[in-house]
Amino acid sequence: MKKDGILYTVVFSFIVTFLFVFLLALANEGTAGIVQRNQELARQKAILSAMAIPFHTDQEVNTLYKSIEIVNKDGVQLYKSSQGGKAIYAKEFSGSGLWGTITGILSVDEQVTQIIGIQIVSHNETPGLGGRIADPWFKDQFRGLKVKNGKINVTFGAEAGSGKANKEEGVADGITGASRTSQSMDTILNGELVVLKKILGGSK
Amino acid sequence: MTAKDMKKISRENLWFNNPIFIQILGICSTLAVTNLLTNTLIMTLGVTFTAAFSNLTIAFMKEWIPRKVRMIVQVLIISFYVIIVDILLRAFLPEISKSLGPYVGLIITNCILMGRAEAFAQSNPPLPAFWDGLTSGIGYMWVLMVIAFVRELLGFGTLFGIPVTPSWFPQWTIMVMAPSAFFLVAILLWIAKNRMTGGKA
Repeated sequence: MKKDGILYTVVFSFIVTFLFVFLLALANEGTAGIVQRNQELARQKAILSAMAIPFHTDQEVNTLYKSIEIVNKDGVQLYKSSQGGKAIYAKEFSGSGLWGTITGILSVDEQVTQIIGIQIVSHNETPGLGGRIADPWFKDQFRGLKVKNGKINVTFGAEAGSGKANKEEGVADGITGASRTSQSMDTILNGELVVLKKILGGSK
Repeated sequence: MTAKDMKKISRENLWFNNPIFIQILGICSTLAVTNLLTNTLIMTLGVTFTAAFSNLTIAFMKEWIPRKVRMIVQVLIISFYVIIVDILLRAFLPEISKSLGPYVGLIITNCILMGRAEAFAQSNPPLPAFWDGLTSGIGYMWVLMVIAFVRELLGFGTLFGIPVTPSWFPQWTIMVMAPSAFFLVAILLWIAKNRMTGGKA
């Protein structure tokens, strides 16, 4: 068979592709269990962190997670936990960021008057820019952030980093250099707040 | 491959023909993932691993690869190793996998890999090709680590996540953002070029 002939080329390409993809499938299959366990642990950790429940080890995460009640309200799955006699709720959210879907956990108090915390479970934002939504400094801004008139505000564009952030006023700083991601977070979180308010009836 | 050849290849890749300083390849990731030493180290290890093994594999297979589909096969092999890195990170270092995000997948498009495959692996035996990929990766790694060192130190006041600067030291936000990498790459290029040419460029 001629090495540069069409038949050889087709057969060669087919075999090579098949071989490498087969090996990848094997590797993927072999680690699927570990990856899934990691993801489940990450999800549980995110829920706990969003609800401001401290933990140290992976074992602790497991026990603490069991104390969280899963409630279904209006067909939406919520996580419920009581702290100091007060109930707090958490909800998984997802929405589109700049490059892909941002998923995370948003936790609020029963009346939806303030955010308890947020966690990012997965995102595909630019590392070092939009990817910083997963950094502690960004997420910490939402700890105890007041919800004003059912809304919060994540600044973006020229306003990001301008010192407008104010927990009492429900304003969080966006990320300089990542306007689209900051804007997406604003949209996603406000959308979730509307849903949560409706379900929990916080307007009373 | 003699020790002399090995030395020549590594001297080229680490300094005289450094991927960043001379070939100006892989700049995208140089700008984007160098604000933390840990991320930079893992990402450049990924590049080094991929460069070494894709070069080795291509050099092994080069006799059978038809010229027409040469580059497609190179990309296939490179992607194979990158996906392996991605799978390993997801399984064993989920935190780092998360913070690197799409940049692991984007190693595939790192020009150094294609560059070495075309320029070296296609026309050399497997072992020198492996060595060439390895040293190219290290040449890329050390430059990025220097940049990451400066950026993390000044931007976050930490090294590998450990706080090192005194509390009164201000953190330079610019160092965390991509523009600072432009400045640092340019400064490093200038210093490196000056040294190589002995100041007469």
